[in-house]
Amino acid sequence: MSALFGGLTHFGALVFFALVVSITFAFLSKRDVMERLKYTLWAFLAFLLVAVGIGWLMYPFTQ
Amino acid sequence: MRTIRVDETMKREAVRGNQVMGIVAAVAGWVVPGLGHLLLRRWSKAGVYFLCVGGLACAGLAMRGGIFGGGAEDLFDRLGFFADLGAGVFYFFAHQIQTAGPDIAHATGDYGTRLFAAAGMLNFLTVLEAYDIGRGGEAR
Repeated sequence: MSALFGGLTHFGALVFFALVVSITFAFLSKRDVMERLKYTLWAFLAFLLVAVGIGWLMYPFTQ
Repeated sequence: MRTIRVDETMKREAVRGNQVMGIVAAVAGWVVPGLGHLLLRRWSKAGVYFLCVGGLACAGLAMRGGIFGGGAEDLFDRLGFFADLGAGVFYFFAHQIQTAGPDIAHATGDYGTRLFAAAGMLNFLTVLEAYDIGRGGEAR
């Protein structure tokens, strides 16, 4: 387990978190299989986009 | 005719659930993620919730994230304790699973702390759904 997750980068942890939370949210909020798939994909991409976007916005403050 | 009415009433009761079933499902779902849904015969949800919450919690522990204890001093530590507690059995056995101990001095350990807290909060959401289904609410 440590070998699998111990070497995760920040981005790797973000992708894993986004995927797991998206799947759970889809099962919590949707009933149909196709709806769940669509919601998972949408939420996953939204998580990534928002995280990368916020990181990009914060970048000037690191200089 | 009377038999049919009784059957229909029994079906409605089974679907409707009750307050006790809701509480039992909620407590079971908190202790073992997905167990509440398993008791309510929501097989796929039970499996998915166990894997997702368990995966997130185990990832947090494997990344050597910190686990908040009950004797928290400030508000943030108390919030962290509350979030961690949501992971149920993964919280109670955190020290057995995480044999190397926490290492929050490194970034990976810090991410692990957040992942474990997220697992706890995610499980609280599934517990609320289990309670809602158990007491006969509209389940998705």
